Amino acid sequence: MTAVTTLDTPAAVTSSRGPRGLLWAMLRLHRWALWFWLLLVAVGAGALLWAYGPGADAAWAEYHKAGCGSTTPPDLGCDLIGPAYTRYDTFVGVGAGILGLAPFLTAAWAGGALIGRELESGTAQLAWTQSVSPARWLAAKLAVPAALLTTGMLLLTLLHRLLWSTDGPLRAAMGSRSWYQGTTFEANGTLATSYALLGLAVGVLAALLQRRALPALGLAVVVLALLTTVLGTVRPYLWPLETLTNKHEYPAYIGMVVDEGALTSTGARVADPICVDNTKCLAEHDIVGFYRDYHPSSHFWPLQLVETGIVLAVAALTVLVAFRLLNRRTGAAV
Amino acid sequence: MTGVRAPRGPRGLIWATLRVHRTALIFWGLALTAATVCLVWMYAIADDARRGNVPCAEPAHDGYPSCSSVEAITVDDTYTQGIALVTTALTYAIFPVAAWAGGALVGRELENGTARLAWTQSVTPARWLAARLAVPAVLLTAATGTVTLLGLWARQDDDPNLVGDWYYPDVFLGTGPTAVVYPLAGLALGALAGLLLRRALPAAGVGFAAALLLYNLLERNRETLWPTVTRAEAGGFELPRSAWQMGWNDSLTRATYHPRSHFWPLQYVETGIVLAIAAAATLAAFAVLRRRTP
Amino acid sequence: MTETAIEAAALGKGFGRRRKQALDDCSFRLLTGSVCAVVGPNGAGKSTLLSLAAGLLRPTDGTITVLGAAPAAVRERLAYVAQDKPLHPQLTVADTLRYGRELNPGRWDDQVAERIVAEGELEAGARIRTLSGGQRTRVALALALGKRPELLLLDEPMADLDPLARHQLMATLMADAAEHGTTVVMSSHVVAELDGACDHLLLLGAGRVRLSGPLDDLLAAHRLVTGRADASLDPHTVVESRTTGRQTTALVRPEGPLGPSWQATAPTLEELVLAHLRAPEAPALRLDDVREAAV
Repeated sequence: MTAVTTLDTPAAVTSSRGPRGLLWAMLRLHRWALWFWLLLVAVGAGALLWAYGPGADAAWAEYHKAGCGSTTPPDLGCDLIGPAYTRYDTFVGVGAGILGLAPFLTAAWAGGALIGRELESGTAQLAWTQSVSPARWLAAKLAVPAALLTTGMLLLTLLHRLLWSTDGPLRAAMGSRSWYQGTTFEANGTLATSYALLGLAVGVLAALLQRRALPALGLAVVVLALLTTVLGTVRPYLWPLETLTNKHEYPAYIGMVVDEGALTSTGARVADPICVDNTKCLAEHDIVGFYRDYHPSSHFWPLQLVETGIVLAVAALTVLVAFRLLNRRTGAAV
Repeated sequence: MTGVRAPRGPRGLIWATLRVHRTALIFWGLALTAATVCLVWMYAIADDARRGNVPCAEPAHDGYPSCSSVEAITVDDTYTQGIALVTTALTYAIFPVAAWAGGALVGRELENGTARLAWTQSVTPARWLAARLAVPAVLLTAATGTVTLLGLWARQDDDPNLVGDWYYPDVFLGTGPTAVVYPLAGLALGALAGLLLRRALPAAGVGFAAALLLYNLLERNRETLWPTVTRAEAGGFELPRSAWQMGWNDSLTRATYHPRSHFWPLQYVETGIVLAIAAAATLAAFAVLRRRTP
Repeated sequence: MTETAIEAAALGKGFGRRRKQALDDCSFRLLTGSVCAVVGPNGAGKSTLLSLAAGLLRPTDGTITVLGAAPAAVRERLAYVAQDKPLHPQLTVADTLRYGRELNPGRWDDQVAERIVAEGELEAGARIRTLSGGQRTRVALALALGKRPELLLLDEPMADLDPLARHQLMATLMADAAEHGTTVVMSSHVVAELDGACDHLLLLGAGRVRLSGPLDDLLAAHRLVTGRADASLDPHTVVESRTTGRQTTALVRPEGPLGPSWQATAPTLEELVLAHLRAPEAPALRLDDVREAAV
């Protein structure tokens, strides 16, 4: 037998340009998914850029034309929504919606087409007997989509932040979108990207568990929905809350309010008996002030980064389990 | 008596359809049970929820209860969330149904050849497709119909403070015949995608996308499905909460809106459109099948 | 001394929670350069054995060594074609060959792969999805041979081919194997397909090794005998015997000279295999080490 070295021989006789080896195989096999992702990113980026430029201008023009924005306080009816603002809102919604939907599409695709279908039809085994160890195969299946997802999601996130940084007055005028609301919160930071990576990991593990495309697709989407729901519920408690207190009425509403109520003279927190201005009632209940537990907008990054850390840790753990499972099943040395 | 004893339960093609899609059937059963349990529970706490959501005075006078006692009741939040959860799930049923119909019901069978297995088991392709569509359609209709009726029962007096205004997208879709026909349209669109693409995963994706498109197109254009009412008064006026407001002129003296009485006309038109799409997709599916098989 | 291509020691593989044994306590040895037929009824464990040898499954008991190492460590040096010939349906024939080239850097031989495809008159631009079963088999074999394996594992390779293509492809395969000294392990339940091509036999039944060894030695160890029904076959091992009227026909492993009352002939491969398949209780026979001892 001839000794074979895989490293120092020139790659192939008919050297064509472009990606090589496992990377080529990944891009070629999932060409449709790649095009779809590029299209999705292009649509999202286009929508956000349009909203940032002409969309916002048209909404402002409409607002001023209605005689709003010149007097303070604004006229009644200035928060009524006109067609230009509706269009603007739709485009923002498309951009943010793609950021929100991408993790679920990723999970479905990873569970179905990326891994599940290959295990079901035996093409995974084909790769494993074409000099690619299962571990390398899985690593490529994870790394290539992860790189493309991260790039696309970060690009859309940056565009969303660009839009967010300039449309503050419009948001204030129309009373729409706050920094802490679900989609906005995720689209403005590292969370949307990390959820997409979590979707990839969950889809891969679901497929390795189910070994069939459609059940894996279903399982991946359901599990990701559960994970996002749980994390969304615990989100306010991932960073210490700040508290505002006030003597006669509630403190101003200035951020993500998590808890509120009344304070007694001993400093105990009680449910508001809703006395409003009735001093007798307040005295009866021994109410001396009110409090609000909240996150100011300066907590955006701490909250964002803690949750990102958790999501990425869960994703890493999922990937680890996936590799373990594959290794146990194939008995393969790396 | 003939020699072979017939087993009890469904027979023939119906049995075959149910057996092949047992996981989906179990999922259907679980979803229906969960929705039923939730709505019965909501009905049970409906009265308490209404006591937690009434005008109050501090201190109690003129027959108004004291606000502290009303505020202490938190069951109204549970009620609102429970009703909203089931209603939203009901209106979103079209999406998993469309993906499932494209992927598992039709696409997978055509991809791996089990459809042909059925066609060689003395079942004509048309009868095969008819069974594949009819059985899920009946089960879906039964489930969505039940949940819609239970929802109306649990909503009781439709207090908008608790269950939302009639023109909210979810509330509108979840409280009338639209709740039943949307999943049927999803079924038909998914099946058509499955027959056209003949592969499970692409069909699931296209079925889902078609459902998404239909849902969003109708949601964006719902208010145009019936002529609005215009009311104009010099000096301005206010519209009741039950009015679905479309727009005002600049001086707030003229408004266009849908009054509550437009709920049924809007429902009928939308139901008709969705049913027509479902029927067209079903006919197209049969036509595709006939062109492809002898 | 000849090297060992595959060596299994007490190899076992169970599936599922209840550990249903697909393979149980299998031991055999195959020398490099052999062409080995793995024969057995449906469900005997042929596919499981080939998957284990290809490093696609982990054994639950025992060990399997391929080309002197664990199967997973010699991935580049072995090729495997699964029973249902999995290929990516969305790729074209040319892309499928490129797939092999990209995944086997430094090893891939374009000429071999393209010759096999060309013999089937396949268009390079045709998608795998549109090919017939036989054409897919051809592409799958091209993918396996293109990586220049030292050990070629084929699971029911010829099942989808017409007789002409089967003959032609088998000839290509054997010529290639002979030229490069490739070890070939081929499973089949069609014995006729293997006759004349193989020099080694592995007969599996219910997950166990029934017969294993060089084909000539195995055939030489058996005799097909005919005689009167009341004659005794002691002390020979009777694999299977059938009595029609007053005459008995039996396949035996002689333990010494057969008596004059028996007419003995050498069995064919098909007779040897069929007799063992019909008699699942017959004792196993391993002759793997005979040749090595003789060398």
